[in-house]
Amino acid sequence: MNVIELNQLTKRYGQSRGIEDITFSVKEGEIFGFIGPNGAGKSTTLRTLLSIIYPTSGSASIFGKDVVAYGPEIKKQIGYLPSEVFYYDKMKVKDLLHYSASFYKKDCKKRIHELAERMDLDLNKRIDDLSYGNRKKVGIVQGLLHGPKLIILDEPTGGLDPLMQQTFFELLKEENQKGATILFSSHILSEVQKMCDRVAIIKEGKLITVEKISTLKERNHKKIRIETRVPVDAGLFAMDGVTKIESEEGNRISFLYSGDINLIMRRLAEVQLVNLWVDEPDLEEIFLHYYEKEDVQDEHVPARA
Amino acid sequence: MNMFRHELRENRRSMMIWTFSLAAVTVLFFSMYPSIEKDGDQFIKVLQNYPEGVLKALGVQINSITSLLGFYSYFFLYIMLCGAIQAMNLGIGILSKEGSGKTAEFILTKPVTRGGIIISKLFAVLAILVITNLVFLVVSYAMARAVAVNDFDIRAFFLISAANFFVQLMFAALGFFVSVLFLRIRSVLPVSLGVVFAFFIIGMFGSVIGDKASRYFTPFKYFNLPYIMKHSAYEPLYLGIGAAIIAVSVGAGCLLFIKKDFHGA
Repeated sequence: MNVIELNQLTKRYGQSRGIEDITFSVKEGEIFGFIGPNGAGKSTTLRTLLSIIYPTSGSASIFGKDVVAYGPEIKKQIGYLPSEVFYYDKMKVKDLLHYSASFYKKDCKKRIHELAERMDLDLNKRIDDLSYGNRKKVGIVQGLLHGPKLIILDEPTGGLDPLMQQTFFELLKEENQKGATILFSSHILSEVQKMCDRVAIIKEGKLITVEKISTLKERNHKKIRIETRVPVDAGLFAMDGVTKIESEEGNRISFLYSGDINLIMRRLAEVQLVNLWVDEPDLEEIFLHYYEKEDVQDEHVPARA
Repeated sequence: MNMFRHELRENRRSMMIWTFSLAAVTVLFFSMYPSIEKDGDQFIKVLQNYPEGVLKALGVQINSITSLLGFYSYFFLYIMLCGAIQAMNLGIGILSKEGSGKTAEFILTKPVTRGGIIISKLFAVLAILVITNLVFLVVSYAMARAVAVNDFDIRAFFLISAANFFVQLMFAALGFFVSVLFLRIRSVLPVSLGVVFAFFIIGMFGSVIGDKASRYFTPFKYFNLPYIMKHSAYEPLYLGIGAAIIAVSVGAGCLLFIKKDFHGA
């Protein structure tokens, strides 16, 4: 069952770019990453899903219900963490969380204390006395305290130290095991790589692809780096399946390769190697690769499959 | 209900400060009344030396200023000025706090309708104004009773006092509408002071030149205090205009709020 469905969702703001024709869906129980550089339209998409802003055209549904028409009903089961957390400054953390809990018809006291303890958050401080990271924690507790079935997070880890990020991801995984679906946006790929089942990649307001993380990684891309005794022409490796050739002083060459491993080995054997590294590329490289492919297509150069 | 309570809590301090200030002003003025009443003739003589324009601008009615209601309606203009500032602050602040504090995302992602949010907020504004005016009325009436030499028309007294409430409703409604239009008003006070004083000055100007048309342009003049004093009644036409202003501002504000896109940082 799909928890979230976006159907040609479009949001334009006058002249400036919003999002264009975004279509994808998120299945129940999935951890879904939404990834792209700053300004690609991630927040716009999430905010439209929550009807903080309204779509120009197209539609989106959550739990099978239209997000605009059934917003309040849907939101009972959603926990949202905005990218920038600025809550009512003069309130104490405790009061804000209780206020937040008062919107849901269940007793969240115990959960608030549990979460605050896990996140190491002082409930008695005033919000304007908190650091950025601590405000983020307030946001996280606020988003999880009612045990939502769908958790939407916009750039969730900014400001959290690595240890806290770890705790936070553990929390999310627990929620996920309890059955929560998670959609989160990020421009940090390692985050997504660690957490997600599938990702949607967005660029300049347009959806580029939706892939399983495992497929992305399994696409049999190898990152190959060589060091040669004498400088060689990097053009030697310009063959089918090779991308992103980089040459440093002529004798240190790196590239991505996908295809029959024997072909590339034969080519490599033609030069005098000092050293050879073959790695799985990280998502970042795959990701950049996607972006470049798009650019290439834009220039009407036939794209390599 | 939770949002209503929250708004009351958030505005508790400012409500107490404003209520206290309004009460203090009325206590102060009324405590001057006995000496004015006692030396009435001299006071009037002094006033007669003032240019007529100044008297009109200050809202002084020489023939009635030494009566309790006359004096009340004289300084009540300043009560209304303070009240208008309070109301405008409240009307603007109730929404722009969400915009400038970026708390809109918090409230809009809760399982409530936008209509529900706005109604809670408007009722909170109403409740705060009602409380302020009730306290003011009690203090004012007690003071009036304490300093009154002769009996005075209680109905007129209440009508004058209630004028502040209606003027406040108008300014709160205007403020609310302004705040929906420009969601991110970071400093509320300069905006509300500007608007309120603009209207106040229009009112003064209108009194000085005796221009009838200018009455339509300032809520301060919808409640003509000498008229209320004399007739123990409001003027239906201006009451109607006032009600229309409130209805249009609130209605348009609500519609805009429901349709509006809330942008992030």
